[in-house]
Amino acid sequence: MSDDAYLNLRGIDAGYGQTRVLEGIDLSIGKGEFVALLGASGCGKTTLLRAIAGFAFPSAGSIHVGDHDVTRLPPDKRGMAMVFQSYALWPHMTAARNIGYGLRLKGWRREAIAARVAEMEALLGLEGLGARKPSELSGGQRQRVALGRALAVDPDILLLDEPLSNLDARIRLTVRHEIRALQQRLGITTIHVTHDREEAMVMADRIVILDKGRIAQLGTPQAIYTRPASAFVAAFMGAENVVHLDATCSGHRVDIAAGPLNRAASLSLDWPAPPSGRLEARFRSERLHLRRLDEASQEDGNAVELIGRVEAVVYPGGEWRHTVRIGDGSVLVDGTEALPPGTDVVVRVPTNGLFLFASPVDAPTGTPPSATDEPSPVRERLTA
Amino acid sequence: MARFLGPLLVSPALIIILLLFMLPLAASVIGAFEVEGAYGLGNFTKAYDFYTQDIVFTAVIVGLSALLTGLLAIAIGGYLTLGENPTAVAILRWLYRWPMFIPFIVVGQILRTFLAKSGLLNSTLIALGLIDPLSATSYLDWRGVVIAFVWKQTPFVALMVAGAMASLDRGTIEAARNLGASRLRILVEIIVPQVTTTLLVGLVLSFVTMMGVLSVPLMINAQAPTMITADIAFRLSTYRDYGVANALGLISLAISGVAAWFYLRVNMRQSR
Repeated sequence: MSDDAYLNLRGIDAGYGQTRVLEGIDLSIGKGEFVALLGASGCGKTTLLRAIAGFAFPSAGSIHVGDHDVTRLPPDKRGMAMVFQSYALWPHMTAARNIGYGLRLKGWRREAIAARVAEMEALLGLEGLGARKPSELSGGQRQRVALGRALAVDPDILLLDEPLSNLDARIRLTVRHEIRALQQRLGITTIHVTHDREEAMVMADRIVILDKGRIAQLGTPQAIYTRPASAFVAAFMGAENVVHLDATCSGHRVDIAAGPLNRAASLSLDWPAPPSGRLEARFRSERLHLRRLDEASQEDGNAVELIGRVEAVVYPGGEWRHTVRIGDGSVLVDGTEALPPGTDVVVRVPTNGLFLFASPVDAPTGTPPSATDEPSPVRERLTA
Repeated sequence: MARFLGPLLVSPALIIILLLFMLPLAASVIGAFEVEGAYGLGNFTKAYDFYTQDIVFTAVIVGLSALLTGLLAIAIGGYLTLGENPTAVAILRWLYRWPMFIPFIVVGQILRTFLAKSGLLNSTLIALGLIDPLSATSYLDWRGVVIAFVWKQTPFVALMVAGAMASLDRGTIEAARNLGASRLRILVEIIVPQVTTTLLVGLVLSFVTMMGVLSVPLMINAQAPTMITADIAFRLSTYRDYGVANALGLISLAISGVAAWFYLRVNMRQSR
């Protein structure tokens, strides 16, 4: 990726006073690529975007666009245009004047501005709304005016700061696809800040997951979803069920010893196994197999089987969601049929949905911590 | 019973307003039309004959002061909002409010010594070699009044305007910077249009305040033409002529009313 990289960040540090918000961020973005900066509140994603935009100068590191060092350039000299979370439309100007303002600053002639504004209005489906003030537009229309204002100046790089977070849920789903389609049509390099995992997944070519000011993982949506590099990323990508297992590992093989809460298993992974010892096993609630304890398994052995008891069952739509107590903790398991609370069950986690990481040294023995009982820091930050 | 409780509860406040404010106002208004026991416009014709020049002088002086106050308040608020030197911003923020706590009469006193022919301003200018001692003149005329008004009222309007600017969505400023607007353009085209209402409220309040100041014209501008307030004081203390004094008061009220009407009109156009 670094060969044809268009926007290059090298060793970016940033902070406010004593607080370091970003530490050693290295990132290369290709021309025409759509990259999402994903993370919980306070992870530094907005600070990183503002450093790229030029609203905050990094305390160390460099930012290059093509061959130009833009690290210390003012925001308007970087060929970037930003769409703000609040849209930041100017309330005293009409939609058309908002869109055309950047061109007016560039000294375009009146007719040329009008033509460009009309082009933007057609592109964004804002025809006939040019004479309205922002207060007379709906949330989705304001969002499009903000997008039009940024695109009108024909920037090399488009920066989106959580542009969908002020829209209601249903509109958000369509606007995601509209923005993505527009970005592909224009072929404009785009950086999108969001805390919404699904939004990042459906919009971006690549996702950068930030945690405490560092890049936790960088990759395509599929790679990050199916091959999280750390327990943090796995949890962020929805694998919030956690159990701890003792295992002996070598190469791609993982041998799990039988315990009070799990059966012995011999797994063969598609990727290198973590070091032997205590492992933190994470998995999502879907694509598991849930059966009664007395039912025999009819599947091959490439899976971990956990023993527990159904505590609760609800129907969120699609499949039944069971809360299964395993030892001191509990996990969420989706199943096609509802098993009543109190049933002793086996939860079967196939290898391709299981993420194994070396356990933190202070992890307790036995099976907990769990996805639902204790407030995990990841979960807290996700909901914050 | 409950039906009478409400009116009963507001009655003390209402009575005080009626007795201490509405009644004297009504008496003054009626008094303005009273000429030797009969009603007529005699007081107004007299006021017109004697004081037209002063009325125009007052309107022009106060209008000019309000204009300059507005410009300075925008400049101060703008620097507080857009200034990039934190130290300069902090110093300005600390400094600009001081005149607000100084009464008009003290302002008059200070400026008398500052603006006089041999005052501090001229001696400084002479010392700096900017003017030669022979061409030094006193500023204690209409210019002194304007300086006093602007000096005293700018902090008040700047306080309001700076507050309104501070509560703007910073994004609207950054969006303009992002597209390449200079700080001056951001101030004129992005910030000021968003705080117009606050600015106008501040200016109308200042206008009405300045219309009623007696001490400054008496201390700084003891010559003709002078302000209506000085004329009212003169009619009262020298002639005990309540009729013409009331008429002049009513004319001041009318001039203030024009300012208020202007404000309301702009306000309504904005909310539409």
